Amino acid sequence: MSDDHDHEDEHLHPPAPMVDEVSEFEVLEIAVRELAIEKGLFTQEDHNQWTDYMHTLGPAPAARLVAKAWLDPEYKKLCVEDGVKASLDVNIDWVNTMPTKFGTPSDYCNLRVMEDTPTLKHVVVCTLCSCYPRPILGQSPEWYRTPNYRRRIVRWPRQVLAEFGLQLPEDVEIRVVDSNQKSRMIVLPVRPEGTEGWTEDQLAEIVTRDCLIGVAVPKPGITNNAKRPVRKAINPYKH
Amino acid sequence: MSKPHYDREHHVKKATGIGDPQCFKGEAPPAKFKVGDRVRIKDLPDLFYTRTQAYTRGAEATVSRLVYESPPAEDESWDNTENVEWFYSLVFDMTELWPDYHAAFAKDTVETEIPEHYLEAC
Repeated sequence: MSDDHDHEDEHLHPPAPMVDEVSEFEVLEIAVRELAIEKGLFTQEDHNQWTDYMHTLGPAPAARLVAKAWLDPEYKKLCVEDGVKASLDVNIDWVNTMPTKFGTPSDYCNLRVMEDTPTLKHVVVCTLCSCYPRPILGQSPEWYRTPNYRRRIVRWPRQVLAEFGLQLPEDVEIRVVDSNQKSRMIVLPVRPEGTEGWTEDQLAEIVTRDCLIGVAVPKPGITNNAKRPVRKAINPYKH
Repeated sequence: MSKPHYDREHHVKKATGIGDPQCFKGEAPPAKFKVGDRVRIKDLPDLFYTRTQAYTRGAEATVSRLVYESPPAEDESWDNTENVEWFYSLVFDMTELWPDYHAAFAKDTVETEIPEHYLEAC
Protein backbone atom coordinates (compact mmCIF):
# COMPACT_ATOMS: atom_id res chain seq x y z
CA MET A 1 0.00 0.00 0.00
CA SER A 2 1.19 3.49 -0.77
CA ASP A 3 -0.47 4.91 2.34
CA ASP A 4 2.05 6.53 4.57
CA HIS A 5 1.72 6.86 8.32
CA ASP A 6 -0.02 10.24 8.11
CA HIS A 7 -2.74 8.81 5.93
CA GLU A 8 -3.50 5.97 8.24
CA ASP A 9 -4.03 8.57 10.93
CA GLU A 10 -6.49 10.40 8.70
CA HIS A 11 -8.48 7.21 8.24
CA LEU A 12 -8.75 6.52 11.94
CA HIS A 13 -9.68 10.03 12.98
CA PRO A 14 -11.43 12.96 11.34
CA PRO A 15 -8.90 15.34 9.78
CA ALA A 16 -7.39 17.72 12.31
CA PRO A 17 -8.59 21.29 11.96
CA MET A 18 -6.07 23.76 10.54
CA VAL A 19 -6.29 25.65 13.83
CA ASP A 20 -7.18 24.01 17.14
CA GLU A 21 -10.69 25.38 17.21
CA VAL A 22 -14.06 23.95 16.26
CA SER A 23 -15.14 26.06 13.30
CA GLU A 24 -18.62 27.47 13.02
CA PHE A 25 -19.09 25.25 9.95
CA GLU A 26 -18.56 22.13 12.03
CA VAL A 27 -21.14 23.36 14.53
CA LEU A 28 -23.47 24.19 11.63
CA GLU A 29 -23.02 20.67 10.16
CA ILE A 30 -23.99 19.04 13.45
CA ALA A 31 -27.03 21.30 13.85
CA VAL A 32 -28.28 20.68 10.29
CA ARG A 33 -27.63 16.94 10.53
CA GLU A 34 -29.61 16.66 13.78
CA LEU A 35 -32.49 18.66 12.32
CA ALA A 36 -32.52 16.47 9.18
CA ILE A 37 -32.63 13.30 11.30
CA GLU A 38 -35.44 14.78 13.41
CA LYS A 39 -37.37 15.66 10.24
CA GLY A 40 -36.90 12.13 8.90
CA LEU A 41 -34.91 13.04 5.76
CA PHE A 42 -32.42 10.32 6.72
CA THR A 43 -31.68 8.26 9.79
CA GLN A 44 -28.71 8.13 12.10
CA GLU A 45 -28.06 4.67 10.59
CA ASP A 46 -27.83 6.22 7.08
CA HIS A 47 -25.44 8.80 8.40
CA ASN A 48 -23.24 6.16 10.08
CA GLN A 49 -23.15 4.17 6.83
CA TRP A 50 -22.14 7.24 4.88
CA THR A 51 -19.38 8.29 7.28
CA ASP A 52 -18.08 4.70 7.47
CA TYR A 53 -17.88 4.65 3.67
CA MET A 54 -16.13 8.01 3.57
CA HIS A 55 -13.52 6.79 6.04
CA THR A 56 -12.61 3.82 3.83
CA LEU A 57 -11.54 6.21 1.07
CA GLY A 58 -7.96 7.29 0.46
CA PRO A 59 -5.47 8.14 -2.28
CA ALA A 60 -4.21 4.55 -2.75
CA PRO A 61 -6.42 3.71 -5.79
CA ALA A 62 -5.39 6.90 -7.61
CA ALA A 63 -1.71 6.15 -6.94
CA ARG A 64 -2.27 2.65 -8.32
CA LEU A 65 -3.96 4.12 -11.41
CA VAL A 66 -0.93 6.33 -12.09
CA ALA A 67 1.52 3.44 -11.59
CA LYS A 68 -0.47 1.27 -14.01
CA ALA A 69 -0.61 4.10 -16.55
CA TRP A 70 3.17 4.53 -16.36
CA LEU A 71 3.66 0.86 -17.15
CA ASP A 72 0.96 0.41 -19.78
CA PRO A 73 0.62 3.01 -22.60
CA GLU A 74 -2.76 1.58 -23.64
CA TYR A 75 -4.11 2.00 -20.11
CA LYS A 76 -2.71 5.54 -20.00
CA LYS A 77 -4.70 6.35 -23.14
CA LEU A 78 -7.85 4.96 -21.50
CA CYS A 79 -7.21 7.06 -18.36
CA VAL A 80 -7.03 10.27 -20.39
CA GLU A 81 -10.07 9.37 -22.53
CA ASP A 82 -12.37 7.94 -19.85
CA GLY A 83 -11.25 8.26 -16.23
CA VAL A 84 -14.43 6.64 -14.88
CA LYS A 85 -13.85 3.50 -16.94
CA ALA A 86 -10.13 3.42 -16.07
CA SER A 87 -11.03 3.66 -12.36
CA LEU A 88 -12.73 0.26 -12.56
CA ASP A 89 -9.28 -1.33 -12.98
CA VAL A 90 -8.28 -0.01 -9.56
CA ASN A 91 -11.59 -1.16 -8.01
CA ILE A 92 -13.27 2.24 -7.91
CA ASP A 93 -16.76 2.21 -9.37
CA TRP A 94 -17.83 5.85 -9.60
CA VAL A 95 -21.40 5.00 -10.60
CA ASN A 96 -22.51 2.03 -8.51
CA THR A 97 -21.03 3.19 -5.24
CA MET A 98 -23.05 3.41 -2.08
CA PRO A 99 -24.95 5.20 -0.81
CA THR A 100 -26.49 7.02 -3.80
CA LYS A 101 -25.55 4.79 -6.77
CA PHE A 102 -25.33 7.77 -9.14
CA GLY A 103 -22.17 9.40 -7.87
CA THR A 104 -21.50 10.59 -4.37
CA PRO A 105 -23.28 13.84 -3.58
CA SER A 106 -21.43 16.79 -5.11
CA ASP A 107 -18.80 14.48 -6.63
CA TYR A 108 -20.74 13.37 -9.69
CA CYS A 109 -19.26 10.75 -12.02
CA ASN A 110 -16.84 12.38 -14.39
CA LEU A 111 -13.18 11.79 -13.58
CA ARG A 112 -10.61 13.47 -15.79
CA VAL A 113 -7.00 12.35 -15.64
CA MET A 114 -4.81 15.33 -16.55
CA GLU A 115 -1.62 14.07 -18.16
CA ASP A 116 1.59 15.99 -17.43
CA THR A 117 4.40 16.14 -19.98
CA PRO A 118 7.98 17.38 -19.51
CA THR A 119 6.75 20.83 -20.65
CA LEU A 120 3.26 20.86 -19.08
CA LYS A 121 2.42 20.64 -15.36
CA HIS A 122 -1.17 20.47 -14.12
CA VAL A 123 -2.32 21.53 -10.68
CA VAL A 124 -5.91 21.10 -9.47
CA VAL A 125 -8.06 23.52 -7.51
CA CYS A 126 -11.73 24.28 -6.98
CA THR A 127 -11.88 28.07 -6.74
CA LEU A 128 -15.64 28.15 -6.11
CA CYS A 129 -15.79 25.63 -3.26
CA SER A 130 -13.64 22.55 -2.64
CA CYS A 131 -14.66 19.90 -5.22
CA TYR A 132 -12.31 16.92 -4.97
CA PRO A 133 -12.35 13.42 -6.54
CA ARG A 134 -13.18 11.81 -3.19
CA PRO A 135 -14.09 8.30 -4.41
CA ILE A 136 -10.56 7.81 -5.77
CA LEU A 137 -8.55 10.23 -3.61
CA GLY A 138 -10.29 10.28 -0.21
CA GLN A 139 -10.98 13.42 1.79
CA SER A 140 -9.26 16.60 0.70
CA PRO A 141 -6.47 17.98 2.87
CA GLU A 142 -7.36 20.99 4.99
CA TRP A 143 -5.23 23.43 2.97
CA TYR A 144 -7.01 22.44 -0.28
CA ARG A 145 -10.27 23.84 1.13
CA THR A 146 -8.87 27.15 2.34
CA PRO A 147 -9.70 30.39 0.49
CA ASN A 148 -5.97 31.14 0.71
CA TYR A 149 -5.04 28.26 -1.62
CA ARG A 150 -8.16 28.52 -3.80
CA ARG A 151 -7.91 32.20 -4.62
CA ARG A 152 -4.13 32.39 -4.97
CA ILE A 153 -3.33 29.30 -7.05
CA VAL A 154 -5.23 30.62 -10.12
CA ARG A 155 -3.65 34.05 -9.75
CA TRP A 156 -0.05 33.32 -8.68
CA PRO A 157 0.45 29.58 -9.36
CA ARG A 158 4.25 29.71 -9.46
CA GLN A 159 4.51 31.48 -6.14
CA VAL A 160 2.03 29.11 -4.46
CA LEU A 161 3.77 26.02 -5.87
CA ALA A 162 7.08 27.43 -4.61
CA GLU A 163 5.54 27.54 -1.13
CA PHE A 164 4.93 23.80 -1.54
CA GLY A 165 8.61 23.41 -2.46
CA LEU A 166 7.96 22.97 -6.18
CA GLN A 167 9.86 25.42 -8.39
CA LEU A 168 9.44 24.94 -12.12
CA PRO A 169 11.51 26.46 -14.95
CA GLU A 170 10.03 29.06 -17.34
CA ASP A 171 9.78 26.63 -20.24
CA VAL A 172 7.33 24.44 -18.31
CA GLU A 173 3.73 25.56 -18.83
CA ILE A 174 1.75 25.51 -15.60
CA ARG A 175 -1.90 24.67 -16.20
CA VAL A 176 -4.18 25.34 -13.26
CA VAL A 177 -7.26 23.13 -13.58
CA ASP A 178 -10.26 24.72 -11.89
CA SER A 179 -12.88 22.01 -11.28
CA ASN A 180 -15.95 24.20 -11.34
CA GLN A 181 -18.56 21.84 -12.85
CA LYS A 182 -19.24 18.09 -12.78
CA SER A 183 -15.75 16.86 -13.66
CA ARG A 184 -13.28 15.92 -10.94
CA MET A 185 -9.59 15.83 -11.77
CA ILE A 186 -6.44 14.01 -10.77
CA VAL A 187 -2.97 14.66 -12.18
CA LEU A 188 -1.01 11.97 -13.98
CA PRO A 189 2.56 13.14 -13.33
CA VAL A 190 5.59 12.38 -15.48
CA ARG A 191 7.35 9.18 -14.40
CA PRO A 192 10.53 10.33 -12.65
CA GLU A 193 14.03 9.28 -13.63
CA GLY A 194 15.59 6.61 -11.49
CA THR A 195 12.51 4.35 -11.55
CA GLU A 196 13.52 2.21 -14.51
CA GLY A 197 12.52 -1.42 -14.05
CA TRP A 198 10.37 -0.70 -10.97
CA THR A 199 7.28 -2.81 -10.27
CA GLU A 200 3.77 -1.38 -10.07
CA ASP A 201 3.89 -1.60 -6.25
CA GLN A 202 7.14 0.32 -6.07
CA LEU A 203 5.84 3.00 -8.45
CA ALA A 204 2.52 3.40 -6.60
CA GLU A 205 4.42 4.11 -3.37
CA ILE A 206 5.99 7.34 -4.66
CA VAL A 207 2.71 8.73 -6.04
CA THR A 208 1.58 10.72 -3.02
CA ARG A 209 -1.67 12.61 -2.60
CA ASP A 210 0.16 15.89 -3.23
CA CYS A 211 1.46 14.52 -6.56
CA LEU A 212 -2.11 13.63 -7.53
CA ILE A 213 -3.34 17.16 -6.75
CA GLY A 214 -0.33 18.52 -8.61
CA VAL A 215 1.46 20.50 -5.90
CA ALA A 216 4.36 18.02 -5.85
CA VAL A 217 6.12 15.75 -8.34
CA PRO A 218 7.00 12.12 -7.59
CA LYS A 219 10.60 11.42 -6.60
CA PRO A 220 12.23 8.07 -5.87
CA GLY A 221 12.45 7.67 -2.11
CA ILE A 222 9.73 10.22 -1.27
CA THR A 223 6.55 8.44 -0.11
CA ASN A 224 5.12 11.10 2.24
CA ASN A 225 3.37 14.39 1.67
CA ALA A 226 5.47 17.32 2.82
CA LYS A 227 4.33 18.66 6.18
CA ARG A 228 2.27 21.84 5.94
CA PRO A 229 2.81 24.54 8.52
CA VAL A 230 0.00 24.82 11.07
CA ARG A 231 -0.80 28.17 12.59
CA LYS A 232 -1.52 27.90 16.32
CA ALA A 233 -4.92 29.09 17.49
CA ILE A 234 -5.12 32.36 19.39
CA ASN A 235 -7.95 30.99 21.54
CA PRO A 236 -7.48 27.21 21.45
CA TYR A 237 -10.55 25.08 22.03
CA LYS A 238 -10.35 23.19 25.31
CA HIS A 239 -12.26 19.94 25.94
CA MET B 1 -55.37 25.42 -0.14
CA SER B 2 -53.92 21.97 -0.70
CA LYS B 3 -50.26 21.39 -0.20
CA PRO B 4 -48.38 21.40 -3.52
CA HIS B 5 -46.67 18.17 -4.46
CA TYR B 6 -43.04 18.33 -5.54
CA ASP B 7 -41.33 15.38 -7.17
CA ARG B 8 -38.14 15.39 -5.16
CA GLU B 9 -36.93 12.06 -6.52
CA HIS B 10 -36.91 12.57 -10.28
CA HIS B 11 -33.15 13.04 -10.35
CA VAL B 12 -32.50 9.94 -8.26
CA LYS B 13 -34.78 7.88 -10.50
CA LYS B 14 -33.03 9.10 -13.60
CA ALA B 15 -29.42 8.84 -12.46
CA THR B 16 -29.31 5.69 -10.32
CA GLY B 17 -27.06 3.07 -11.88
CA ILE B 18 -26.22 5.40 -14.80
CA GLY B 19 -24.47 8.31 -13.16
CA ASP B 20 -24.66 12.07 -13.37
CA PRO B 21 -23.79 13.62 -15.91
CA GLN B 22 -24.00 10.34 -17.92
CA CYS B 23 -27.82 10.27 -17.48
CA PHE B 24 -28.16 13.39 -19.67
CA LYS B 25 -26.21 11.91 -22.58
CA GLY B 26 -27.85 12.50 -25.95
CA GLU B 27 -30.28 15.16 -24.69
CA ALA B 28 -28.33 18.24 -25.80
CA PRO B 29 -28.75 19.91 -29.19
CA PRO B 30 -25.71 19.51 -31.48
CA ALA B 31 -22.59 21.20 -30.12
CA LYS B 32 -21.99 24.70 -31.53
CA PHE B 33 -18.22 24.62 -31.01
CA LYS B 34 -15.47 22.13 -31.67
CA VAL B 35 -12.02 21.48 -30.26
CA GLY B 36 -9.65 24.33 -31.20
CA ASP B 37 -12.37 27.00 -31.57
CA ARG B 38 -11.80 30.40 -29.97
CA VAL B 39 -14.66 31.52 -27.71
CA ARG B 40 -15.46 34.42 -25.40
CA ILE B 41 -17.28 34.02 -22.07
CA LYS B 42 -20.44 36.15 -21.93
CA ASP B 43 -21.06 38.11 -18.77
CA LEU B 44 -24.63 36.86 -18.32
CA PRO B 45 -26.72 37.85 -15.31
CA ASP B 46 -27.28 35.08 -12.79
CA LEU B 47 -29.73 34.86 -9.93
CA PHE B 48 -28.17 33.73 -6.63
CA TYR B 49 -26.18 30.85 -8.12
CA THR B 50 -23.62 30.42 -10.86
CA ARG B 51 -20.58 28.26 -11.52
CA THR B 52 -19.10 30.52 -14.19
CA GLN B 53 -16.30 32.23 -12.33
CA ALA B 54 -16.16 36.02 -12.37
CA TYR B 55 -12.54 35.89 -13.52
CA THR B 56 -13.48 34.09 -16.76
CA ARG B 57 -16.15 36.57 -17.83
CA GLY B 58 -15.29 38.60 -20.90
CA ALA B 59 -12.12 36.56 -21.42
CA GLU B 60 -11.24 34.58 -24.54
CA ALA B 61 -10.31 30.91 -24.49
CA THR B 62 -9.66 27.88 -26.68
CA VAL B 63 -11.89 24.79 -26.60
CA SER B 64 -9.76 21.82 -25.52
CA ARG B 65 -12.46 19.19 -25.12
CA LEU B 66 -16.22 18.61 -25.23
CA VAL B 67 -16.66 17.04 -21.81
CA TYR B 68 -20.30 16.00 -21.34
CA GLU B 69 -23.93 17.03 -21.69
CA SER B 70 -25.81 18.37 -18.69
CA PRO B 71 -28.23 21.05 -17.61
CA PRO B 72 -26.23 24.10 -16.50
CA ALA B 73 -25.67 24.41 -12.76
CA GLU B 74 -27.50 27.76 -12.87
CA ASP B 75 -30.69 25.85 -13.86
CA GLU B 76 -30.08 22.71 -11.84
CA SER B 77 -29.79 24.69 -8.64
CA TRP B 78 -33.48 25.52 -9.19
CA ASP B 79 -34.31 21.91 -10.08
CA ASN B 80 -34.73 22.77 -13.75
CA THR B 81 -33.22 20.02 -15.90
CA GLU B 82 -34.98 20.87 -19.19
CA ASN B 83 -32.18 22.74 -20.97
CA VAL B 84 -29.45 20.15 -21.43
CA GLU B 85 -26.42 21.53 -23.27
CA TRP B 86 -22.81 20.71 -24.07
CA PHE B 87 -20.07 21.57 -21.59
CA TYR B 88 -16.67 22.62 -22.88
CA SER B 89 -13.29 22.42 -21.27
CA LEU B 90 -11.60 25.73 -22.07
CA VAL B 91 -7.99 26.82 -21.82
CA PHE B 92 -7.33 30.47 -20.91
CA ASP B 93 -3.95 32.18 -21.10
CA MET B 94 -2.96 33.56 -17.70
CA THR B 95 -1.96 36.81 -19.41
CA GLU B 96 -5.54 37.09 -20.79
CA LEU B 97 -7.06 36.71 -17.30
CA TRP B 98 -4.59 38.77 -15.29
CA PRO B 99 -3.15 41.82 -17.10
CA ASP B 100 -0.10 42.01 -14.80
CA TYR B 101 0.83 38.32 -15.13
CA HIS B 102 4.57 38.21 -15.70
CA ALA B 103 5.49 38.00 -19.40
CA ALA B 104 8.28 35.54 -18.59
CA PHE B 105 5.59 33.00 -17.71
CA ALA B 106 3.25 33.81 -20.60
CA LYS B 107 2.89 30.11 -21.39
CA ASP B 108 0.92 29.47 -18.17
CA THR B 109 -2.78 28.67 -18.50
CA VAL B 110 -6.01 27.92 -16.64
CA GLU B 111 -8.34 25.12 -17.75
CA THR B 112 -11.97 25.10 -16.63
CA GLU B 113 -15.41 23.99 -17.84
CA ILE B 114 -18.18 26.30 -19.04
CA PRO B 115 -21.64 25.44 -20.46
CA GLU B 116 -22.47 26.40 -24.03
CA HIS B 117 -24.95 29.22 -23.34
CA TYR B 118 -22.14 31.27 -21.77
CA LEU B 119 -20.03 31.10 -24.93
CA GLU B 120 -19.86 33.19 -28.10
CA ALA B 121 -17.51 32.73 -31.05
CA CYS B 122 -14.72 35.26 -31.40
